Amino acid sequence: MDVFSSLMDGFATALTPLNFMYAVIGVILGTAVGVLPGLGPAMTVALLLPVTYALEPTSAFIMFAGIYYGGMYGGSTTSILLNTPGESSSVVTAIEGNKMAKAGRAAQALATAAIGSFVAGTIGTALLALCAPIVVDFAVSLGAPSYFAIMVLALLAVTAVLGSSRLRGFASLGLGLAIGLVGLDVVTGQARLTFGVPLLADGLDIVVVAVAIFAVGEALWVAAHLRRNPLQVIPVGRPWMGKQDWKRSWKPWLRGTAFGFPFGALPAGGAEIPTFLSYVTEKRLSKHPEEFGKGAIEGVAGPEAANNAAAAGTLTPMLALGLPTNATAAVMLAAFTQYGIQPGPQLFESEGPLVWALIASLFIGNLLLLVINLPLAPMWAKLLQIPRPYLYAGILFFATLGAYSVNLQAFDLALLLALGALGFMMRRFGLPVLPLILGVILGPRLEKQLRQTLQLSAGDPAGLFSEPIAVVIYIIVAIILLWPLLFKLIRRNRPAAVPAGMPSTGSGTVPPTEAGGSGGGGSHRADATPGGDGDA
Amino acid sequence: MSSSPTLASRLKGRSELGVVLLLGAAGALVIADAARIVTPYSQSDPVGPKTLPFIVGGLLLVCAVFLAVNVLRGGQGEAEGGEDVDLTHPADWKTVLPLMGAFIANILLIDWAGWVISGTILFWGSVWALGGRNYIRDGLISVAMSLLTFYGFYLGLGINLPAGLLEGIL
Amino acid sequence: MTIVVGYVPTPEGEAALTQAILEARKSNSKLLVINSSKGDALVDNRYAQEPEIQTIEERLAAQGIDHAIIQPVRGHDAAAEVLDAAEEQKAELIVIGLRRRTPVGKLIMGSTSQRILLEADCPVLAVKAGATA
Repeated sequence: MDVFSSLMDGFATALTPLNFMYAVIGVILGTAVGVLPGLGPAMTVALLLPVTYALEPTSAFIMFAGIYYGGMYGGSTTSILLNTPGESSSVVTAIEGNKMAKAGRAAQALATAAIGSFVAGTIGTALLALCAPIVVDFAVSLGAPSYFAIMVLALLAVTAVLGSSRLRGFASLGLGLAIGLVGLDVVTGQARLTFGVPLLADGLDIVVVAVAIFAVGEALWVAAHLRRNPLQVIPVGRPWMGKQDWKRSWKPWLRGTAFGFPFGALPAGGAEIPTFLSYVTEKRLSKHPEEFGKGAIEGVAGPEAANNAAAAGTLTPMLALGLPTNATAAVMLAAFTQYGIQPGPQLFESEGPLVWALIASLFIGNLLLLVINLPLAPMWAKLLQIPRPYLYAGILFFATLGAYSVNLQAFDLALLLALGALGFMMRRFGLPVLPLILGVILGPRLEKQLRQTLQLSAGDPAGLFSEPIAVVIYIIVAIILLWPLLFKLIRRNRPAAVPAGMPSTGSGTVPPTEAGGSGGGGSHRADATPGGDGDA
Repeated sequence: MSSSPTLASRLKGRSELGVVLLLGAAGALVIADAARIVTPYSQSDPVGPKTLPFIVGGLLLVCAVFLAVNVLRGGQGEAEGGEDVDLTHPADWKTVLPLMGAFIANILLIDWAGWVISGTILFWGSVWALGGRNYIRDGLISVAMSLLTFYGFYLGLGINLPAGLLEGIL
Repeated sequence: MTIVVGYVPTPEGEAALTQAILEARKSNSKLLVINSSKGDALVDNRYAQEPEIQTIEERLAAQGIDHAIIQPVRGHDAAAEVLDAAEEQKAELIVIGLRRRTPVGKLIMGSTSQRILLEADCPVLAVKAGATA
């Protein structure tokens, strides 16, 4: 497969007037919902799933991709102008960005965020175009046992690594898998969890589940805890940067991209860790460390680039393996299934033109974001004055419309309310919603792979370990699961090791190995929390 | 570990135990439902339709037990924050319940009265629940939203939302 | 006796405050500064934040005026808050800032100052920006 010529074909498709229009709509809509309180890209794509009935898949995905990137950009705008990071990935941007804005440098903060997003997004998309086919080449050689193992890894990694409580993550995953079970079993035709209700025989529609969890649950949750004290937005003109700002920004952009992409591409990397790593790195490397905490431009440029590169990275496993690792990617995957498109390694083969048009549209979307948003920043800030009643009533209104239009039956709305109440409860008690959605989407595919695997081995569980890659992945899964135990063991040994190492100044070996050992996940999350608290 | 009076005091303010109940009930339900499935063993499908439900049900039950222990020991789920969320005051049921009321009214009315009427009620009711008191402006926006989506879905997406009572007029 | 002034962080609001300070010193009255918001949007630029309130507080204290600053957020519009406070305090005077509004804008948004002028039980002093004595 020739990447370059496929990509050029993709550009040809994405630049037709109609598709280009959908890219513009997506980018504008995405930025708007990123700016608006209470709305995010995942919710918006979920609310727009009904358009899959009328639009060409290519147009729909081009629009969704625009919403995805636009949402990132809009989120950084509110972080800088209001210090209210809407998503965990823009928490770090708010630290320095809002300080800059308060010091009268809002225009420069917005500019470095926008241009940094463009640079990182473009490099990230290029890396996506290069890496995804390689991953696909590797993945198509895998059999069912390995593929099953990879799906287990993706589910467990998201559940166990992201979020603050592993236990609550697993509870959420269990609920999602249970929802995914509802309906007739594809192989045997047996009804599962349908309770004799014929309307449940086809299973719960993923549109209904996604809209309920992301839109209805969120709207009810916000309605129950409306912020009472209004904020004042920092006035801003058109974003621009001086020569000095460019000089201080370009290196952090590139370093942020280098942090962001690989973490985004990992099953549980997410965008929080790379943005935080980028912030710490820039603080260490900066020639103006005294400015950090008072509005250093490097502290906006780096994390914003990392954030956007991670967004591009996330699309690699999504397109190449059919594995979503964040909420928006999960809902986009649901859209694939709406079209009857099988996500997975075959996607590049079977839907090549669609995938390459999507990737090409990411390049276009990035450029559009820069061109549209730099002049429009003051207008976006005005969106924040929309009265809440209209905003949240609108979410419920469109959620209802989306869920109803699937089958035109009121029963789906009852399900929508029930699952929305579940989403409310999960937010109240700290159950993360991402594992649930992944469970619903990946559960049925996981079961299919499991059955194929054991069919090959005639029911012998050893068949699960019949491929070397599968064995390697299970070892990684075991490490992730046992991580808290290992961590405790290391900690228990530490008090003994440190006093021994301290008196003799020469033995510097113990601390570095420990730092290396804990660098994977746990310690950074622990560090990131105080940063998040500081913004509240 | 401790005696019953402390257990009673421990239960107080632990609404999170409701989550434990939900998980436990869901787990039991999944397992009970799977247990009643009867399928002959088949060479081509050795796993069968019961295996995954048993695993999922087991996972839910285990989570319920661990969560119960965690909550009774003082563990607490961290409520989700957000840019428009203020967690310093308790849940405002005076907003949430009318909101759900508007939602339920829509469910009951949509097939009979049609989307334009039920959607207007849904939007207007939600705005009211959320504190909008500009009745006339709210009403006009509600009607406009319903009509626009009705015709938008019909013309743009080819989806016929129910016209209900207004059949023939719209 | 009390003077009630409706304050917003704009030139009109500043003009009203300045005029109200003059009036309060003249008649040696208590000054009640009201800065309210309906609180129905995430952002309300007419709702003064902590530092601004601090500045006003210091300014009034420096002038030796008996004063209070309140910031009600109860879902009521600004006119209702000012009228309520004036009635409650049996105010001798209400001071407000006026700004130009197009007829269409007035139709859609309503006019806070018009409502206060029409409904208040005490004299109302309306000031324009940059027109203070």
